[in-house]
Amino acid sequence: MRLRFHPGRLARRLLLAMPVLAVFFAGSVCQARVKLITLPVRERVEVQLDNAHATLVEEERIVPLVKGENQVDFSWANTQIDPNTIVFRVVAPFGYKPLDVKVLSVSYPPNEAALVWAVGSSDSGSAKVRISYLLGNLSKSFNYRAVASKDEKSLILSEYMRLQNFANEQYGNTNLFAGYGKSFLKPIGLNETKEMLVQKFEKVPIKKTYACNPAEYGYLDQPQNKLRVPMHYLLKNDQANQLGAHPLPYGKVRIFIDGGQPGQTAFLGEDWGKFTPIDDEMKLYLGVAQDIVVKRTIEKNERKPVGGNLYHHEVILKYEIENFKDQAVTLDVVENLRHVRNEIRGDSGRDVEWELLKETTFQGSYDKERSTFEQLTFHAPLPARAKDGKAEKVTHKLHVLIKNEW
Amino acid sequence: MRLFLATFCLVLVLVGPLAADNIDLSTVPHRDSVQLTIYNSEDITLVRETRKVTFKKGVNPLQFSWANTLIDPTSVELKFLTHAEQLDVLDTTFPHAKAQMLYWNVKSELDGEAMIQITYFTSGITWSADYVCLANAAETQMSFEGFVRVHNNSGEEYEDAQVRLVVGTINLVEKIAQLAQVPVAEVQTMEADKLSDLKKDATHRFMERASGFGGGKGGEEGKEKEIVKEGLSEYFIYTIEGTETIPNGWSKRMRSLASQQTPFKIQYRYRPAEYGEQLVRMYLLTNNVESQLGTSPLPDGIVRVFRDNGRGGLSYLAQQATKYVPIGDKIEINLGADPEVIFELIKIRAFRDELWLQINGTSDFRKIGGDGVMRVENATLAGWDDHEIYSQRIRNYTNKPIAVEIRRTLPGHVVFRSQLEPTLHDYQTVQFLTRVQPAKRADLLFEVVRKQGINAKQNNVTLQTAEIKP
Repeated sequence: MRLRFHPGRLARRLLLAMPVLAVFFAGSVCQARVKLITLPVRERVEVQLDNAHATLVEEERIVPLVKGENQVDFSWANTQIDPNTIVFRVVAPFGYKPLDVKVLSVSYPPNEAALVWAVGSSDSGSAKVRISYLLGNLSKSFNYRAVASKDEKSLILSEYMRLQNFANEQYGNTNLFAGYGKSFLKPIGLNETKEMLVQKFEKVPIKKTYACNPAEYGYLDQPQNKLRVPMHYLLKNDQANQLGAHPLPYGKVRIFIDGGQPGQTAFLGEDWGKFTPIDDEMKLYLGVAQDIVVKRTIEKNERKPVGGNLYHHEVILKYEIENFKDQAVTLDVVENLRHVRNEIRGDSGRDVEWELLKETTFQGSYDKERSTFEQLTFHAPLPARAKDGKAEKVTHKLHVLIKNEW
Repeated sequence: MRLFLATFCLVLVLVGPLAADNIDLSTVPHRDSVQLTIYNSEDITLVRETRKVTFKKGVNPLQFSWANTLIDPTSVELKFLTHAEQLDVLDTTFPHAKAQMLYWNVKSELDGEAMIQITYFTSGITWSADYVCLANAAETQMSFEGFVRVHNNSGEEYEDAQVRLVVGTINLVEKIAQLAQVPVAEVQTMEADKLSDLKKDATHRFMERASGFGGGKGGEEGKEKEIVKEGLSEYFIYTIEGTETIPNGWSKRMRSLASQQTPFKIQYRYRPAEYGEQLVRMYLLTNNVESQLGTSPLPDGIVRVFRDNGRGGLSYLAQQATKYVPIGDKIEINLGADPEVIFELIKIRAFRDELWLQINGTSDFRKIGGDGVMRVENATLAGWDDHEIYSQRIRNYTNKPIAVEIRRTLPGHVVFRSQLEPTLHDYQTVQFLTRVQPAKRADLLFEVVRKQGINAKQNNVTLQTAEIKP
């Protein structure tokens, strides 16, 4: 990108391969030959990455001006500058002279990636100008590295911003700002990818969950009614949990576990972390737990007439759970009642109306925070297996009346 | 001096009247002035140029040619601004062998100089408007700048031309109807050629009036040109101070208005029909004097919005196309969703009541729960009320209180119960407002009762005040 500059009328202009800013000192008549060109260099560059969809580049240059009308020529080639977004602002006079500097007009030559500002100056002197524009192919993404402690009670979460420069333009030391956190002063080379640590959160408490939910996770072995039991780490994005500084952007999370000794960090897998607003949870999938076996059967399905073709359905779901792990864990038993209704009588397309009945065995009823109007979450504590390797079978029942179906 | 390919000239032919002579001598009178009146939505520009021509007594042939330009040959007209009583156009000839050329034979009783005016339409000159808003870091005021950009792809360079831009849509159909003396409905059925002629005529007449407006002060070197805005009937004419030279293929952008401290408000809106399924952040301002605007309507154009990021730089917020904004009307700029404001609709509960059975397909209906209903055979459910209880949750993680407006369209026969003091935006759309303090969460509870089957007697929403329990 270059900026050229000259006083007077439209002078002969050159299209250069690099974007150019030039200041022309030439005669005042049309078609004047260029006598002198100054090429003001970039004094400062900022790349604003705070907009989710666009990258704004701002560059400051010191432009020498003569009294009267000056021409400042800005041209670029092979870069995706959106010429309609270019804003030219005079930040301050540079030096001792107070100058009144104004953009009089902008001219766009045909078939060229360029424009010419006519700039009026009250006196001769220099002015600091700031040129801002949206630049395509200079994009950012986020990714994370999460290292869980050996006891899986906390993790160290490092958030990285990755800048990819396919804009066909290089910048010297550039201030990069993601919209939060610190800004970075880095050069950006052509076709370069840079990864920067935006924030590092130490000792973020995590909760490891084991959950079954036939509607969402399905079966591990359907003929045997064995449910799939995925494991997750849950991180709450709030200050109580060492986070909450800003929403966590969408990005890939590489998950590791600290083995307790140097060099014993093991890779657990990776998952996509969804955009997580403050106070929301980021849920990271760790794989399927093979040591927790959940057998789910529909023990009872009884239709109760209400009148005409209208019925209630009394349903008992039975869960037989065995924990073959050496430590006690809590299983989240999640049941979507719309899914249950569809299982027992087909989908009526209506919202499910339900009532919990007395044979439900889960202690403390359902977890209201983690339940919705049609999906209930119960917690089932499971003891560790016995020393002889035998797992205790824990049986729970969910007794529910599904109402007013036809 | 012209730089580009178009050859466009007026020639006073000195060797006798039109003949097949092979040797010609001609003089080329210069343009004294050019005026362009550009009408942006029809791609039509009225060019009015004046030239001084010396006539001798008798018949004077004048040649006018316009190679490689987009001039409409049928629109070219010659007028005498001085000595009109001594000068007459005898005939106009479009020579067969030479396209883009015509001859006028002017009969003169004058032996001397006269000022002539040539007018014609050309296409390829257009203009567009755009706006740049720069909000301060506190987001209370913005600088609002309007620009006009004139594009010249007409094939001709109009040097030192006075430029006028017509803002607004000329209703050509009515004017064509008036000219043709036919009802408006018949305009569509007219032959294409005739319609085209009348359209030009209508535009021409409008522009005749429009082009008479405004002064042509010379722009001072090094100073920004003023763009004078004048109302004309239903339209606005922007006249660019002084003259402009826009070479063929170039375009030029000039500031048409600027305010430094336009106050604005921020509102968050949920209006799915207008902004999609998201809560969007809006900048709201008004095109009036209090906003340091209001001197003219704002023509259609792209608005680009930036904000001072408080660290000496800008944040790019949004760009959007705006429609024509009359004086006094609102300018609403949608900045998109704000990641610091979380907007969720949570369904808390669903149930049904007012269940009615139709007995044996007859007109006998009985309510469930009534006597003997259990024993009725061959009865089907014919009417019920679906109840849905919702929490509209808004979490504000910004550092300022936010004003939120929510519109929900609820088709069918619906009762909307809440303590939200809602209003009806229309018969099926409920609107309610709230404010959420910084770092706070609002849970706006409401119940929607949808009357179904035979219970549906209306197709509208009724508002009821009631306490809703989660």
